[in-house]
Amino acid sequence: MNKIVAVHSYKGGTGKTLLSVNLAATFAKHGKKVCLFDLDFRAPSLFAILKVGTADYWLNDYLNGKCGIDKVLLDLSSRIPGNGKFFVALANPSTEAIREMSAKDRKWEMRALGKLLSLRNTLLNDKEFDYLIFDTSPGLQYSSINAIVTADFVVVATTGDRSDVDGTRRMLRELYNLFEKKTGLVINKVLDPTSKKDEMDAKVRNVYQVPMLGLVPCFCEVLRAEGNLIFAQDKPNHPFTKILDEMARKIDAKEVN
Amino acid sequence: MTREQLLGRKPLHVLEKIRENLERLNEKMEVMIELQKHGRQDLQPLADTPLDVMTLLSMPDHLRKTAMTICRCGRATAEEVAQQTSRARAVESAYLNQLVIMGYLKKERKGRKAYFYADRDSQG
Repeated sequence: MNKIVAVHSYKGGTGKTLLSVNLAATFAKHGKKVCLFDLDFRAPSLFAILKVGTADYWLNDYLNGKCGIDKVLLDLSSRIPGNGKFFVALANPSTEAIREMSAKDRKWEMRALGKLLSLRNTLLNDKEFDYLIFDTSPGLQYSSINAIVTADFVVVATTGDRSDVDGTRRMLRELYNLFEKKTGLVINKVLDPTSKKDEMDAKVRNVYQVPMLGLVPCFCEVLRAEGNLIFAQDKPNHPFTKILDEMARKIDAKEVN
Repeated sequence: MTREQLLGRKPLHVLEKIRENLERLNEKMEVMIELQKHGRQDLQPLADTPLDVMTLLSMPDHLRKTAMTICRCGRATAEEVAQQTSRARAVESAYLNQLVIMGYLKKERKGRKAYFYADRDSQG
């Protein structure tokens, strides 16, 4: 069962948000009922990327016990082609909220884990969502580890950058393995992917010892898009859209378990 | 209570009590056996440490599996945990009781069943 998918990485700037937004949009395009969560409370970004005017309730409020999850969900289904459902739960981008979230104690983090775990009942079982996608903060910190513990499957985003390889490998061994999480690796920003396909395959097998979920070339269009990142919606025939289709299919068919 | 009362009127009740006490005794013995197996250094209780993800990460593997199951279920008996982890009920009972001794879990008896849970609601 790969119902809850966390997108995580060791370092920042590996493309977690790009991947999670598009993975969620792709599932919705395939007719699924999906909710995308911004769990990067230190640097919320979905609010700006999805151009949501304002929200009455944030994911922060749900984790603080101020409201139920149904108050937080925003229905953006109209933005995705087809009959799927696309909901989002946003992190509060105000400086005050970021400061407040950074100062939480361990007891609060334990309760937050309980709240995330209970989404399996409230959203997957009761509201019949097919997928919950968690966009997380990079590295080892509470909000991301809470997300990983809750998830069924972790998409690990990495680049060829040497500073990222070692940390990612350690994280796979000392974090995901300890929690017995299924993982799939996405290598992002690959230059000249056709000639490097075999090299990358071998690298993933030898260095990371986990299945490869996808290889994403460095697309200038992503930079040119200036944050208009829903390719499933804006560029249905772009190669990146096709790569996302394939990733979603693999996760759905449990080919990467 | 006279001997006649015990044997004549409430024999079933008395037998139930004996069985309950034996089960508790058994649980305590299982914990002691596990304590000896894994050494005591893992099991020093830390005052009021919440069962958060950092605690889960620092636990020995055998206890993490049990603790994770309680985190997911919210509240469960040793039997229910054993079904999820595919380990023996007696083993899970011992690990759960160790986690109680360490201060990470709470235990509550309802009739003959003992439920284990992480105390997420207490303040502090």
